[in-house]
Parts: sequence; C-alpha cells; structure tokens
Amino acid sequence: MRAVTDTWLLTLRALRETVRQPGNEAANAFIPLFFYMVTVGAVGSVAADAFGVEDYKGFQLPVALLQGAAGVASGAGLALTLDIQSGYFEKLQLTSTPRFAIVFGRMFSDAIKSMVLAVAIVALALAYGSGFETGPLGMVVLVLATGAFALGYAGIGIAIALKTGSPQAAQAGFILFFPLLFLAPTFAPKEVFAGWLQAVATVNPVTYILQGMRVLITEGWDISDMAGAAIAIAGIMVFTFTLAFLAMRTREG
Amino acid sequence: MSAIVARQLVKHFAPDIRAVDGIDLDVPEGHIFGFLGQNGSGKTTTVKMLATLLRPTSGTAEVAGINVLTDPGGVRKRIGVAMQEVGLDEMQTGRELMTLQARLMGIGAAEAKRRVANLLDVVTLTEAADRPIKGYSGGMKRRLDLACALVHGPRIIFLDEPTTGLDPITRDAVWRYVQELHADGVTFFLTTQYLEEADRLASDIAIMDSGKIVARGSPAALKAEFANDALSLTFDRANGAVERATELLRGFEGAEEVRADEGEVTVYMRNGAAAVAQVVRALDDAGIALEQLRLTHPTLDDVFVRATGHRLEVDEGGAARPPAARGGDDARGH
Repeated sequence: MRAVTDTWLLTLRALRETVRQPGNEAANAFIPLFFYMVTVGAVGSVAADAFGVEDYKGFQLPVALLQGAAGVASGAGLALTLDIQSGYFEKLQLTSTPRFAIVFGRMFSDAIKSMVLAVAIVALALAYGSGFETGPLGMVVLVLATGAFALGYAGIGIAIALKTGSPQAAQAGFILFFPLLFLAPTFAPKEVFAGWLQAVATVNPVTYILQGMRVLITEGWDISDMAGAAIAIAGIMVFTFTLAFLAMRTREG
Repeated sequence: MSAIVARQLVKHFAPDIRAVDGIDLDVPEGHIFGFLGQNGSGKTTTVKMLATLLRPTSGTAEVAGINVLTDPGGVRKRIGVAMQEVGLDEMQTGRELMTLQARLMGIGAAEAKRRVANLLDVVTLTEAADRPIKGYSGGMKRRLDLACALVHGPRIIFLDEPTTGLDPITRDAVWRYVQELHADGVTFFLTTQYLEEADRLASDIAIMDSGKIVARGSPAALKAEFANDALSLTFDRANGAVERATELLRGFEGAEEVRADEGEVTVYMRNGAAAVAQVVRALDDAGIALEQLRLTHPTLDDVFVRATGHRLEVDEGGAARPPAARGGDDARGH
C-alpha cells in the first residue's frame, strides 16, 4: 500500500511540473497531429484503390496516438536525468520510499499525459471525419492502450537515464521509436509490403499494437487482434522494465 | 552508545582512485562530529557511504546501530541528510517539496502538514513557502534543504558543508539552529572546510586528507597535540635587542622554535602561559628591554597545517583550490 501511495505522490509531483511548464508538451501534441494531417491529406484519397483501406483517417489514427505517446514517454528519461543532475534524485533516494516508486512515478505521469493527449487526438480525428466502429467504450480502450504503451516505452528512457545520467542519451530513446514505427504497417497494410519488409513487420511488436488499435476504429471488437496488441504491449513493458531495474541496480544507493 | 561506527571503510572509484582509504569512526550519540578536509579529501564520499547513497568497497559501517549494507532502508528512516549540493526540485514550491519529502518518509498527510508548517517557520521560510523554489536565493534554498533533512525528526543528521557559499548572517543562523538541535540531543556529522565552523560547533574533530584520517580528537586536544602557543615579543630594533633576545630564547627550556622578524621575536612552546614569567625574568636578567609581549593560542588552522602539511584553502563558492604544499615553519600563522 505504501508503494502505491508513494508512486502516486511522485506521479502528482511530475504532473505538477507539466502543469507549470505546459509549453514542453506542445511539441508532443504538434508532431503526431502534423503527421496525421499530412499523411491523410497525401494518401487518404487513394488508399481505397491502392490498398483497400476505406477509412484511412481511422487507419492512421493509431499511428498518431503511438507517435504522441512515444514523444511524451521519452520525457520521463530526460526529466529523470535532470533530477539526477540537480541532486534531487539523491534526495529522493534518501527517503524510505521503495526505489521503484521513484521511477514509476515518472513513468505513470507520462502514461497519464499520453492518455490526455490521446483524448485530444481522437477528438480531432473524429472532427476531421474519422469513423469509430466500437463507439465510446472502444475509445476508452484505445486511450488506455495508448497509456499502457507509453508506460512501457517510458522504461527505455528511464533505463538510459539511470545508466548514463545524460539528458542527451535519454532523449535518444525517442529515436528508437521511428525504426519500429516505419518497419510496421504504418502507412499501408502489411499485405502490400515487399517480402523482406513483411518479414520484419511480422516480428515487430508495433505491428500488433497498430492492428489491435485499428480494429477498434475501423472494424469492431476483434478479440484476437486486441489480444495480440495486449501481448505486444506487455512484452515491451517486460523488456523495458527489466532494463530499467537492471540500470537501477547499477546506480548506487 | 555510538551513533555512527565505521571500521576500515574503503571506497574505490575506477580506475584507481582511493577516495576513502580505510577509515575508522566512532561518533558518540549527542555529539557534533566535525569532519575537516579540503574538497576532494574524501569527506563527501564518506558521508554518502554512511547515508547509504554509496556502497563501500570494503569495511563496515553502522548508523544508529544499523548496518548500512544489510539494512539501508532502516538507516534512512533514522537519519537526515543535507548534501553539499542542494538538491531541490525547483518547479515545486517550498511547501510542496517538504510535504512530499515528509510523505515519502512515511508520515501521514495531516502530520506532514503540521510538521512542514512548523519547520518552515523555524527556517523562516513561511512567507516564501508557496512560491516556486526557482525564485529562492541561495540561502533560502540551503535553509529549505536543511528543513527537508529534518522533516521526519531524525536523531542523527549528516550535514555536508552546510554553510559553504552562504553569507555570514545565514551561516550564523544555520550554526545557531544546529546548536539548538544539539542541545536537544541530536547527533551531527558535519563536514566542513571552515575551521571556524568546526571549532565553534564540534565537540570532536577528524581531519581527513587524501582519503585518510590524519588527526582526531576534541579541538582543544588537537591544538594541544599538534600545535604550540606562540609568545610574541617586541623589542627596540636600534640596540641589537632582537638578535640578543633570539639567541637567549633559542636556549630557553621548552622553546620548540624561535623566529625573529622585524623587531619581533616569536617563541613557540607547549605551555606559553606558564613560561611568560620566566621569559620576562630571563630577558630582564640579560638587560634586554622588552616593549611588548603577546601570547596567542594555536588555532585549528595550525593543527590542520601540522596534520596535513598544507593549509586548508577555501573557495567561498564551494570549489576548492589545490592545496599549496608548505613547509612546517612557513605554514605557521598566528
């Protein structure tokens, strides 16, 4: 119970920072929306004929959500390095709170921020003309999935921050997302990919996350695809949390 | 009972830096223990090991009777720590930061609120409590940092150079607060570059140099052990009195060193007060007219020079300059 309370207190502390520096989140909102508008504007009208996607606005919506989540979640590592450099991380280490609460507080705050951003992106996409087959409940599931992805993805920056203490290195965690995103069916279904790209996309967890999110928007409740997305997100979480815990052990205290 | 015990405590950093090189400590409960040394001498590394922020390479340490390696969480509950670098989240207000610190020490919301209000009052930050810390002055940040270290009511407090870079008024306020808590039985482990600070506050002192403790004891005992009183005698330079007095005093029993400089002869001896009358008599018997006599007791500065071979140089901003190597005679300064 103490661990949960402390994690929440540290989450609130991180969220206060955002409220007091809202400008930092502007880029996280702008980039996914910009790509969404441009991609839909460029490809949307030919998507049905080119690769059989009728609702390209809905097809692209999960891409915008994941981009936004990755952008927000990369902030966790950067913020942690600033705490390390200022000495505040040591002050937190000197409390009797569990060590994981210190890093989970940061990560949960980014998950919450990414869900707030997801609500805004979904609202704008709907206003722009995107469909949504599973209705309000599906939107809630989509937003929660975005938050879960952000939580897992934040672990990368946290691990880098704990290992290196370098803001530049922690920010580089965001760059890892782009290969994962572009080696997945981001702009077109996997079926139209070249053979090698299909093979890469098949082992890329982002493929399954995109698919699970897309069915909520364009098809309906497909338990199989949703389970695939849940397993992929859980896999990312296990991987990044393990990295973060290993990095934490190397940081003395 | 001992509040802090360390045996053969060692900390190595890669590639081959022995920051702390086998030190023993024994700080009794209720004492103010002064840990003196140049920046880079190993003081902060020692504090970090005792406060569970660094794992010792070897050796053992117990704080409040708890092993720092086997139960670091137990140690953290019982200690307060204010490090040299004030580590504060400047986006928060002073009250928010202190309240969070209290809550993370396991204090309930209502009690945390009460304690924070009380401590803010003690460190005279009540008026600024709801402003973001980024707008605080250096002294305000230092006082807030100190208050954070005290918010859970620890009985053992580590202060790592608590007054470095502070203005004299704030420094004096910190000293007074330390003395108040000490009167209440709190144990302090105080690292400092300021000899005056150690002399004024500490009941026991250890001098650290290059990772080793080179001297320890009470300020009075250290002065008695490491440094002499100085008896300064002024003569009329015109009639050769300085040269004659120097010659006479070099053979004086108990005089460990005699130096002559522009009409003044200084005699260094263990118990200067007891020798004053004999010196005056001997000069009178020799017909040497004395103009002025001054007896000065040794300072911790003298002790430091004798123990380490160099003077303690302090940068007010906190950054130390490399110690200037000095010979024992030249380093003396009364």
